[in-house]
Amino acid sequence: MSDLLKENWDVIVIGTGIGGGTAGRRLAEAGLKVLFIEKGPAGFRSEQTRFDSDMFVPEARLARGFWPNQVQARINGEDQAFYPPIGAGLGGSSAFYAATLERPEVHDLEHSNARPHPTGGWPVRYAEFEPYLTKAEQLYHVNGTQNPLANYPSSLTIPPTMDPVDQIISDKLSAAGMHPYQLHSAVRNVEGCLNCFGTKCPKPCKMDGRSAGVEPALATGNAGLLDMADVTALCGDGSHITHIKLIRNAEEHTISAPVILLAAGAFGTPQLCLQSASEAFPNGVANSADRVGRGLMFHTNEMFAVWPGAKGTAQSKSIGMRDLMWRNEQRLGMVQSMGVDASYGEILHYLRLRLARSKLGRNRLVQDGARLPAAVAAKVLGRAKIFLGLMEDLSYDDNRILPTQDGEISFKYTMRSELHTRRKLFQREIKRAFKGQRMMFLLNAPELNFGHPCGTMRFGDDATTSVLRSDGRAHDLTNLYVADASFMPSSMGVNPSLTIAAQALRVADAIIEGGRHGET
Amino acid sequence: MAKPDDRLLAGVAVVTGAGSGLGRALAQNLAQRGVRVAAFGRRAEPLKQTACGQDGIIPIVCDISDPAALEQAFSETRRLLGPVTLLINNAAVYPRLDVFAESHESFMQTVAINLGGVFGASRHALDDMAQTGFGRILNVASFADIAPLPASSGYSVSKGATRILTRALLADLADRFPDIVISDWLPGMLDTDMGIPEGLKPEEAAKWGADLALWHDPLLTGSVFEMNHELLPPRSLKRRVKDMLLLQRPKPRSL
Repeated sequence: MSDLLKENWDVIVIGTGIGGGTAGRRLAEAGLKVLFIEKGPAGFRSEQTRFDSDMFVPEARLARGFWPNQVQARINGEDQAFYPPIGAGLGGSSAFYAATLERPEVHDLEHSNARPHPTGGWPVRYAEFEPYLTKAEQLYHVNGTQNPLANYPSSLTIPPTMDPVDQIISDKLSAAGMHPYQLHSAVRNVEGCLNCFGTKCPKPCKMDGRSAGVEPALATGNAGLLDMADVTALCGDGSHITHIKLIRNAEEHTISAPVILLAAGAFGTPQLCLQSASEAFPNGVANSADRVGRGLMFHTNEMFAVWPGAKGTAQSKSIGMRDLMWRNEQRLGMVQSMGVDASYGEILHYLRLRLARSKLGRNRLVQDGARLPAAVAAKVLGRAKIFLGLMEDLSYDDNRILPTQDGEISFKYTMRSELHTRRKLFQREIKRAFKGQRMMFLLNAPELNFGHPCGTMRFGDDATTSVLRSDGRAHDLTNLYVADASFMPSSMGVNPSLTIAAQALRVADAIIEGGRHGET
Repeated sequence: MAKPDDRLLAGVAVVTGAGSGLGRALAQNLAQRGVRVAAFGRRAEPLKQTACGQDGIIPIVCDISDPAALEQAFSETRRLLGPVTLLINNAAVYPRLDVFAESHESFMQTVAINLGGVFGASRHALDDMAQTGFGRILNVASFADIAPLPASSGYSVSKGATRILTRALLADLADRFPDIVISDWLPGMLDTDMGIPEGLKPEEAAKWGADLALWHDPLLTGSVFEMNHELLPPRSLKRRVKDMLLLQRPKPRSL
C-alpha cells in the first residue's frame, strides 16, 4: 500500500465505477500510469452479494461494497435519512447494477424545434458523441436487438433467444402498435450465467466497472488500486490541484499526480469538491460560478406488474421499448423489464406500500385485507413480470447536493408540478401500450430512482452556467477532470451507464491528448 | 439425501483434533474416500497413528489455541496439499472442574481451544475458500449449552458459543458466499475419551460426519444435524397453526 502512495502516477482516478473504471482502463491501455483510489474494499471476485437496502450496520455495508452511511435528504420539504442504493467498493454501484446499457437518442443530447431540449442541448453533438457510444458498447460486450425507432446504428452483438414469456408480452406490445426490442445488456451470458441483476457477478460475465474497467486496467501493468481509502480533500492553488488528502486505516496521507480524475459519482464528486473549500478555493473546488452540486436529477420509476398468463421458468430482463419517449410535446422515457418476477409475497408488499400512503391504508385490518387481492392475483394470474417506466427528470438549480464536512451525502430535492403532470401522462401512455394485457401500477406517488443521480457537475461551453468543459475538465482548473454521471446536463429518457462510459472515454482521450501537448 | 461433492472429494480437508476418537475416525474416513487430509492435533505420536497406513493423511502438529501455531499449520497445509476446501472443527477439551477448582486462567484456556480454535481455523480456511467462493465448514457441536452439567462451565459455555459462532459467521458470509456451506453436527454420545463407554463407536459416527461434511448444498447452510438426521429449529405457535391449516409439515433431512 505504502508503495502505491510513493510511486509516480500520471493520473489519479478517484472512484472505480463505470466512469472511473472505463476512463482508467483507456488511460492505462494508452500507457499512462494510473492509480485508482476506492472508498470501499476491493472485495473478493467470487462474491455473489445481493444489494441489501435493509442492511444497517455501516461496517457490514462497506465490507459488501454498499455506501456505508445514510444520506440526509430534504425531499419536498420533508427531512429523511436513508441508505442509498449506491456502491462503495470496487466497481462502485455498477457491481450491483442490472447492466442495462441503453443508447441515448439524438434528442436526448440535441435541441430541435420538433423536440426542444430542456437545456438547449449538450455541448457535444450526437455525431461527435456517437463513436464513443460505439466504443463503449464494444468494451461492455453489449448485446440486444436494434431499437426499431432508432435513427442511428449501434454496435450490438446477437442476444440469446428471448425468454418465451417475455416473447408473449413483446408480441402483444407489437400487436398494440408498439415497437419492442431486446433490451441492451452488458451481460455476456457465459456458461453458468447467474443473471446478476442486483448482485455482484462472480464470473467474467457481467461487464461493469470492475470487469470492463479496473481489471483490464490492472492487467496492463500500468495501474494500481488503493482500496479502503477515503479522499478527504482536493488541495491546490486556485487553478491547479497540487495534491489530495486521503485517510486509510485511520492514517492521513497526501498524494499527487499531474492529473486528477474525479469519478466518485453524482453524489460523491460534488460533495468532495464542496468539502474541499479552502483559502485557495473559498467556494469549494471548481465552484467559482456556484454551480457545483446544483441541478441534481434522478429518474422516476414507474413500476408496474404485467401478468403474461403463461408460466415461465427463468428470471428475464429482455424487453425494451422507446415508443413513449416523447408524447404530447412532453419528455417521458423508455419502458423496460426489470428482471424481477413477482409472486404473492411481492405483490402483497407493493399493495401494502400503496396502502401505507393513504390514510385508510395505515389501518392494520386494511393492511391484512390486502392479503386477499394479492392471493387472488397470485392464484388466478400466476407470476407477474415487473416492468419499469423510466421517466426523464428535469434540472432545477435548487435541487442540489449540500455541502457537508464529514464526507457524508446530503441533498435537497423538490418535485415540480410538471413532474406530476408528465407522470400522469406517462401512466396513461403505458396503460395504452399494454392494452389487452393484465397489468397493475405498483406505486401511488412518483418514486425517485436514487440509484440514478446525475447532473451535479454539468458540462457546458459557458463557464458561468456549467462546471466542466465539454472534454470533462473543470473550467476553473487546469488538471481536474470529471468522468461520472455528474457531467450530464439532462437526465435523458434512458439508463445512464452507457452514456457515462462513453463520456469517460472522451475524457480519457482529452487527458491523453493534453499530456501529448504537455498541457497540464 | 447426502451425495458427496466431487469438488470436495478432490479437495483438501483439515480435521482438527485428529489425534484421537472422532477426529481420527473422521480423518481416516475422508482419506479412504480419496480426500487429501491435513490432520491437526497437539501431540505427534497419536497423529502418526491416525496417519498410519493412510496415504491421504498428513499429520500436522498444532495447538489450535495458539494463533501463531495455527497460522503456521495452515501455511504448512497449503504448501503440502493446496488450498483448503473442507474444514471439520472437531477439536475440543472437556475438563471436568467444579467452579472452585476452575480458575480464571483454566476457564479461558478451555474457551481458547473450544471457541478460539474454531474461530481461528475457520478464519484461515475462509481465506482459501473466499478466493473461489467455494467451501464447506462442519462444526462438531454439542447439547452442553442447553442444560449445563455441573463441573462443566468452561466446556458448556465454549461449546454453546461455537453454535452462536456458526450463526455469526453466516450473518457475515451467507449473502456474499452462498457456496461456502457452514453447518453444525451433533455426533451423539460416543465411546471416546470424552464420551461414555456404552456410546457409539467413533468409526460409526464418523461415517455420518464424513457424509455430512462432503455434502455441499447451499440449503444446508445453518442446519443442525444430530447423528444422521436434521434437527429443525423450533416453530412458533403461529407457524405451527399455519402449517396445520395448510396441511404442511417441515420435513427434516437425513443422511
